[in-house]
Amino acid sequence: MTSIANKVDQFKQTFREEAREVLVDLESALLELNENRGDPELVARVFRALHTLKGSGAMFGFDELAAFTHHLETAFDEVRNGRLQIDSELIDLTLAALDQIKVMLEDDAGNAAADGSVCAEILAKVLQMTGMAESRPAGPKPEQAPPANHNSDACNWRIRFTPGPELLLNGTNPLLLLRELKQMGDLRITASMVAIPPIAELDPERCYVSWEMVLATAAGQDAIRDVFIFVEDSCELVIEPALSPLLPAAACAAEMTAKALEDKRSASGGRRNHDKADNASSLRVPAVKLDQFVDLVGELVTVQARLSEIAARHDDPEVTEVSEEIERLTSALRENSMTIRMTPIRATFEKFRRLVHDLARDLGKDVELTIEGADTELDKTVIDRLSDPLMHLIRNSMDHGIEPADVRIAGGKRATASIRLSARHSGANVLIAVSDDGRGINAEAVRSRAIERGLVSADEQLTESSIFALILQPGFSTARQVTDLSGRGVGMDVVQQSVESLRGSIDVASKPGSGTSVTLRLPLTLAIIDGLLVSVGEAYFVLPLANTLECIELTREDIEKANGKQVANVRGEIVPYICLRQYFNIHSERPEIEQVMVVETEEGRYGFVVDQVLGDYQTVIKNLGRLYRHVQFVSGATIMGNGTVALILDPQRLVQDALRAEAQGGRGHPVSAAGSRRLKDISAANAS
Amino acid sequence: MSLVLEECETQSEIRLEGAVDIACAAELKKLLLQALESGKELRVSLERAICLDVTAVQLFWAAGCEARRLGLGFTFAEKVPEEISSALAVAGFESLLVSENGSQAGSVR
Repeated sequence: MTSIANKVDQFKQTFREEAREVLVDLESALLELNENRGDPELVARVFRALHTLKGSGAMFGFDELAAFTHHLETAFDEVRNGRLQIDSELIDLTLAALDQIKVMLEDDAGNAAADGSVCAEILAKVLQMTGMAESRPAGPKPEQAPPANHNSDACNWRIRFTPGPELLLNGTNPLLLLRELKQMGDLRITASMVAIPPIAELDPERCYVSWEMVLATAAGQDAIRDVFIFVEDSCELVIEPALSPLLPAAACAAEMTAKALEDKRSASGGRRNHDKADNASSLRVPAVKLDQFVDLVGELVTVQARLSEIAARHDDPEVTEVSEEIERLTSALRENSMTIRMTPIRATFEKFRRLVHDLARDLGKDVELTIEGADTELDKTVIDRLSDPLMHLIRNSMDHGIEPADVRIAGGKRATASIRLSARHSGANVLIAVSDDGRGINAEAVRSRAIERGLVSADEQLTESSIFALILQPGFSTARQVTDLSGRGVGMDVVQQSVESLRGSIDVASKPGSGTSVTLRLPLTLAIIDGLLVSVGEAYFVLPLANTLECIELTREDIEKANGKQVANVRGEIVPYICLRQYFNIHSERPEIEQVMVVETEEGRYGFVVDQVLGDYQTVIKNLGRLYRHVQFVSGATIMGNGTVALILDPQRLVQDALRAEAQGGRGHPVSAAGSRRLKDISAANAS
Repeated sequence: MSLVLEECETQSEIRLEGAVDIACAAELKKLLLQALESGKELRVSLERAICLDVTAVQLFWAAGCEARRLGLGFTFAEKVPEEISSALAVAGFESLLVSENGSQAGSVR
């Protein structure tokens, strides 16, 4: 009993998780429908989502959710049949209802936690819209819903439903699924009992029955499949057009009976072989288990590095062989574990449609949101922590960036403003941008405010990008009026902090009158990276492999030829370099021949001069801790096989830091100003 | 739910009350086997049952087959709640409910 109850709870939880996904799709479809009100595909998508929530909700004991959703489903059935028009009131009502459904879903019993008066108000309005306010004030229970789609457009579908043996243990009642199918049209059904073993051998909790059906309905294949959405991974389901509309289910059943008998013969102990059903193509794993798994892989990578180090010291072919094998396996495991964590950013992006819709309504602005690159994959941890910063950026755009319609028209723009949310890969990073076509940032106003606040001196020479970067400073805001949405001056610095905690960076670009684009540069993953281990004196550094293009030699002669400039000639191309010995003020003898690691950055190609390149290095990233959070050009540290610490460098940040130092220090050496300034930080980090 | 096996001289009767579902499937199997082992006619009463799920249907089907193999009678009491008979009909199990006089068991409302 207890184990059954536990399993039912477990599958209720699965329903919750899957229903959340359905709700995301529903919200997205509603918002798209708001912009394309005549699109029958979108109406069908909304209807299907509501139908799925209702049917599956009832199946898993979320009765109030199912009853509530039923009325909305009815409304969209009316829309489907042309008896009700889509308008903003229906969209807003359905969105409000969706918020209540979310609350019902999260409640333990699936009941009554939602705001009763809000639900009643929504239902009253929906019933009024569908013309059922008088005839059905209390509303039917979901299972009493009227049969749908009995019309002349009906097609015949042959459905073969063979539950997996564990289906009943999941808390699923197949009879409810069949009842739901029957509501879709004329259903002829034959149950096959041939797989039921003799009673002495029968496992009472397993499912042995299967069904063959012919359904005459106007609903499409997707709608029929949706009935089985929560059991599809644990059953065999075939839905195909019936060859002949007159084909009775019983006739189809003959083939199924033969198949079942065949299964019975081949299965041991009278049980069907359900390998296919049991080996579901995907499965849900709690995120916390995944995190533990990746942590363990991380530790394994560190231990493996230690083993390799020991194997190199002991000249024993057997140890070396085992070490190399473990290295190969660890590498494969690491790759695999990273892949498991990668998730498309779509769900995070899609939920901002609702935000834009609601804010546009509240602010009286007409704004369309365009989403690009939603399939771009990122580490789950990064995605989880992206929502807040993105929300703030969109709120800022909506509130301050986008002008009122009359101002836009006067400025020769479309009344409808545009916000673009995009994601794309760039080496080992992902670039996520929020762009608008609003009024843009007034660089002079930003500069004046920064001087007013003492952030910069009046005579300081600043590039445009440096000026825009000032808006990320704590407490900075040019908005004179505080609104509910933004303009409190506490927003962008919080965005900055969030992004930096993800080892990312922010770039702001803007043109007055044309709009603003804020780009977040984020690492693909926070856990492990592929790097190149290099040394300078007795210090070790790791450069991310994804940024590294090649390695060339730098001789004393090459240095002299450059006339004091820190540039290298790479097959005719002049590449500026940063000498890490100088940058980190490392006191050790300079070798005759140094190595220049050429890396690709957003600022172009740059070189990093090191003493030795020690080779590939799979690196587990350890945070340096809060004290060193302002040390921007170090992504973290790693513990090497011999126990020493290597700093993981962020080439992009190093180059930016050097360029900033150059801009601030006038014509000086690109790195000299930054170098001595950073020494203390780095020495401290190394010591820790 | 409640499952009761009552043995008379010539007949065993299993009376089921409440929801007859996976939660009591193991217990129902035990009772059915016990009743079949007694070698008497077997009668099942669903009059006080609220609902049946697939586990119960499978067990009744298997018990019916076993009873036939042993040359014993296996029937349902005539009165079956409307909800149960209609649910069984929707799922294609209408032939399951054969009453003691050989006809389909009737519904009670």
